Amino acid sequence: MASVKLTNVKKVYDKKVVAVSDFNLEIADKEFVVFVGPSGCGKSTTLRMIAGLEEITDGTIEIDGVVVNDLQPKDRNIAMVFQNYALYPHMTVYDNIAFSLRIKKLPEDEIYQKVTHAAEVLGISEYLLRKPRALSGGQRQRVAIGRAMVRDSKVFLMDEPLSNLDAKLRNQMRAEIILLREQLDTTFVYVTHDQTEAMTLGDRIVIMKDGYVQQIGTPEEVFEKPENLFVAEFIGAPKMNIMKTQLLIENGKYYVTPFGSKIEVDGENGALLKEKEIKGGEIILGVRPEHIVLADESAENTINGSVMVNEMMGSELHLHIKTEDGTKIIARTPTVNLSHEERFQLKSGHPVHLTFPSKVMYFFDPETEKNLIY
Amino acid sequence: MKRKNNQLPELPPQAKHHMGIKARNAISNTFIHILLVIITIIWLVPFVCIILQSFRVESTHMVGYVIPKDWGLDNYIALFDTDFPKWYINTLVTAIITALLQTVIVLCMSYTLSRFRFKGRKLLMRFMLILGMFPGMLTMIILYRVLKDIGMTEANAVPGLILVYIASSGMGYYVSKGFFDTIPKSLDEAARIDGATRFQILTKVILPLAKPIVIYTILTAFMAPWGDFVFARYVSMNVSSGMNVAVGLFSWLNKDMIDGRYTMFCAAGVLVALPVALLFIFLQKYYVEGVTGGAVKG
Amino acid sequence: MKKYSDLEYLRLPKWKRFLYAVICFFVGIPGSILGLFKKIGLGIVKFLTGIKNEFVDIGTTFTNGDWKTKVSFFIMGFGNIARGQILRGLLFFIFEVVFIVYMIFAGSYWLSMLPSLGLRGPEVVYDPIYDAYVTEYFDNSFKILLYGVLTLFFIIALIYTWRINIKQNKISEQIIRSGKKLRSGKDDLRSLVDDQFHKTLLALPLTGIIVFTMMPIVFMILVAFTNYDGAHNGFSNNLFTWVGLDNFNSLLSWSNGEVSYAATFGEVLTWTLIWAFFATFTNYFLGMLVAMMINKKGIRIKKFWRTCLVFTIAVPQFISLLYVSKMFANNGLINGFLLNLGLIEKALPFWTDTTWARITVIIINIWIGIPYLMLIATGILMNIPKDLYESAKVDGAGPFMQYTKITLPYMLFVTGPYLLTSFTSNMNNFNVIYLLTGGAPTSTLPSPGGNLGDTDLLITWLFKLTTFEEAKYYMASVIGILVFIVVAIISLVVYNLLPSTKNEEDFQ
Repeated sequence: MASVKLTNVKKVYDKKVVAVSDFNLEIADKEFVVFVGPSGCGKSTTLRMIAGLEEITDGTIEIDGVVVNDLQPKDRNIAMVFQNYALYPHMTVYDNIAFSLRIKKLPEDEIYQKVTHAAEVLGISEYLLRKPRALSGGQRQRVAIGRAMVRDSKVFLMDEPLSNLDAKLRNQMRAEIILLREQLDTTFVYVTHDQTEAMTLGDRIVIMKDGYVQQIGTPEEVFEKPENLFVAEFIGAPKMNIMKTQLLIENGKYYVTPFGSKIEVDGENGALLKEKEIKGGEIILGVRPEHIVLADESAENTINGSVMVNEMMGSELHLHIKTEDGTKIIARTPTVNLSHEERFQLKSGHPVHLTFPSKVMYFFDPETEKNLIY
Repeated sequence: MKRKNNQLPELPPQAKHHMGIKARNAISNTFIHILLVIITIIWLVPFVCIILQSFRVESTHMVGYVIPKDWGLDNYIALFDTDFPKWYINTLVTAIITALLQTVIVLCMSYTLSRFRFKGRKLLMRFMLILGMFPGMLTMIILYRVLKDIGMTEANAVPGLILVYIASSGMGYYVSKGFFDTIPKSLDEAARIDGATRFQILTKVILPLAKPIVIYTILTAFMAPWGDFVFARYVSMNVSSGMNVAVGLFSWLNKDMIDGRYTMFCAAGVLVALPVALLFIFLQKYYVEGVTGGAVKG
Repeated sequence: MKKYSDLEYLRLPKWKRFLYAVICFFVGIPGSILGLFKKIGLGIVKFLTGIKNEFVDIGTTFTNGDWKTKVSFFIMGFGNIARGQILRGLLFFIFEVVFIVYMIFAGSYWLSMLPSLGLRGPEVVYDPIYDAYVTEYFDNSFKILLYGVLTLFFIIALIYTWRINIKQNKISEQIIRSGKKLRSGKDDLRSLVDDQFHKTLLALPLTGIIVFTMMPIVFMILVAFTNYDGAHNGFSNNLFTWVGLDNFNSLLSWSNGEVSYAATFGEVLTWTLIWAFFATFTNYFLGMLVAMMINKKGIRIKKFWRTCLVFTIAVPQFISLLYVSKMFANNGLINGFLLNLGLIEKALPFWTDTTWARITVIIINIWIGIPYLMLIATGILMNIPKDLYESAKVDGAGPFMQYTKITLPYMLFVTGPYLLTSFTSNMNNFNVIYLLTGGAPTSTLPSPGGNLGDTDLLITWLFKLTTFEEAKYYMASVIGILVFIVVAIISLVVYNLLPSTKNEEDFQ
């Protein structure tokens, strides 16, 4: 049980390739923090620096108030689960889980207690005498978690633990990790490239890109108040629709004009724009697919387009819509609101009219890509 | 258009002879089987000849036929009146000690170069690559003189030979490094997090996984001394008690000796080849893993 | 040359594409050789600036260091001991003491004699005690050269250790200044099985390589510049001495009158290259063929065929090759068999005619070499993804197309580096030539000695030069150096042209 503090952490490979720059983060005791970002963004490198598997080029990492920069992994009292599980192929499941305890020279009795307890919690008791080769992906993953569990370590590190599993198993294991977290009651640092995992698991999420931290916040914060365009696009699926458009000010009211339409920005967003004294001109407007509404007929505040592809997802439709100038917009429409006829009509080529309320709009500076109102 | 879609798609060429595939396969397989039989015969003939000649007792010189007219064990028995048993023991001792120590050294070297990223590692590997381009034969002259100065030649050739074989065996790290490279590094990392020292990682995680390459290394190191007649001849310097089998038997085939010793050479050859070949055939699987790994890794 | 864009290239007929690839290859050669030189040049520059930086660092360490550091410049390990790292300090100190003692009692002598390689050879003197003339021995050129080299190595080692000693002082000062603790001797020992484990593991193997491989090579390179031979063995008959480039001159120059061996060297080198080429590629393609035959679906007892072939690897070569050599002798089995059948009237000159002998060794080498290639190819063939063949079949490719379009390119790509090493080791394939022919038939070309034969490779020639009575060690060394140069050039050029110059980390 411990806090982790990273101060100005930097990682440079071969004196030229910068993998992580200026990483600052304080992880509270028992917090679950997720590092998320596209591949090559430095999230794994950061995790491996916390683990002691990579040297820290600059800055300090503290665990429980102790600077661990020069400590070996074994002296940092951490546990780690690897993406490819890294089970010792020549040992049985029991020996795999017991390995770290044997290195510590615990009495066999105690090892037996700990290993069988962990196996029970994870539901792998019946496989204890098998070799990893004879296990399925999900079972291997459980063994890897078991191996980390028995160490009673201060920090629990997980490096993309679910990405080698198929989609169904991944959902199941995600739920189990939430349960595990309740049982272990320790500090977690979790790395993933999957924003769904990040949103569902993390108390806080660290979004990274090209070695730089983009935003740190709770799932709600990063979803509703993304600091920049990258975060806005990265969080949420399908990703946010981005439209280059003009912001007009007429009679003290703000309007956006995507694809020939003219939609007033009122309510809270309008007030915020005014408060920040945002000037009119070119901006980037973002609207999440689920917030786009199908209008019955063309009006001043609708965007006209036609359906390209209609993906039936069950509870909702994903409509890929081509606007008049050829830009693609995705809309998520719950099927509940549509009659059978309407659903049948929304085939390729069918004309549609889109609109969205002003409270779901995001505004970004076209140059800096920063959020204009948060 | 629609009608055409209903027709069968055009067949790929070999499918047209669909009925013929099986028959053609059978013919080509029979042909290959015959070829393999011929190849095997060619490959084994010399060995069969050696064995047959070793039982020939009507004469001891080279003859133009294979099947002995009189059969007997005379050649084998006669070996015991020569220095052959001494040579045999010399070689066996050399081979066993070399195999053990050389394996340790090669494994140390290859494990280190595969797993550690230390300063000068690339330089070291390049340096050894360059050293390896010099013909090793050159160094024999000086090594012989040095061994002679410390009294490890002639009758004492065995320790001298062992020393030289082992000393430069680090150069042969390449194949086993290739094998170590295929063991995922995340295993090392997992073990480091589990609290193991580098030494424990080597003994508890890596070595158990490297069984094939360990056996490969032992096997090749064990076989090499049986065939060395160049440096071994230098070091033993015509002193019979310091010779290994290769040097000793080689001398039986020179012009003065061959007529009297030819069939005995065959008998000795059988005795030398038998254990080595059997060991090799027995451990073939590991040899294949080693040799393939090494070549693929380049 | 016209450069094609991707789209233009796609419209070219096949043969033009091939031609284009060939032209590109040859046009690329000067560039890649130039690139090589550039790399070497950059390496030298980097090396020199590195040395400069070292000196600058040594200087600043001295001027900025405290008194402990300054004393360490003269008494190695002093700083370590003064700062509490007794173990490290003692090791440095002991090394320095050993060095000084060695230099006083032995090193200085060997070093001083190195330029002359000995001044006083053996002399016959009258011994009044025994009332007889006896030979007295004085300097020993061989030992002077050997221990001279050793002393030079020792000096280099001392400089290197001294440099480390200074670096450590600098680092220790930094650590103390930042308020951390230095590692104790116990920590040092423990780290030798942990984060410094590589040092422990490499210590023994590297010592072996330096003493038993590197030093002898340095020694033998130096021998090439002396007149060390059977008549000047440096001790019991005559001293040997430095002769500069004379040996290279007599081996390589045409204009050296009677004692020019340039033609001999050219001939042997040519045969060596021809041999290496055929030995490598016959084995490569035939071995692959055999592997494919055995691997084919429907072939039975695969393991049996493999085991039979593998016998040529399993049996020590001196038995199998010596025996086969006798089989092909004029009075050997093969000739006896053919004569008995009446197919020939007189023995075929397997080992007595140059062309016959050269072809025979190449063919017998196939017998020895195919099994290796078969094993390697079997492993690789099994690794080729099956779906490649399946998609080729769907596209309508026959067995031959599959071979040329999938199997061969894949094999060549994967085994490229292997082919290179196999070529160079065939150049130095001592066993096959020496055991089969011993170099025979005797060559008519002049040789410095050693009974040169027409099937001799550079390596067997080199060997012969060291074994006969008036051994021409210096010539053997010269040939050894030339072999090195040839091998190095081939390796460098081929390696730079190989498409599969792979990144080592890709496999991990």
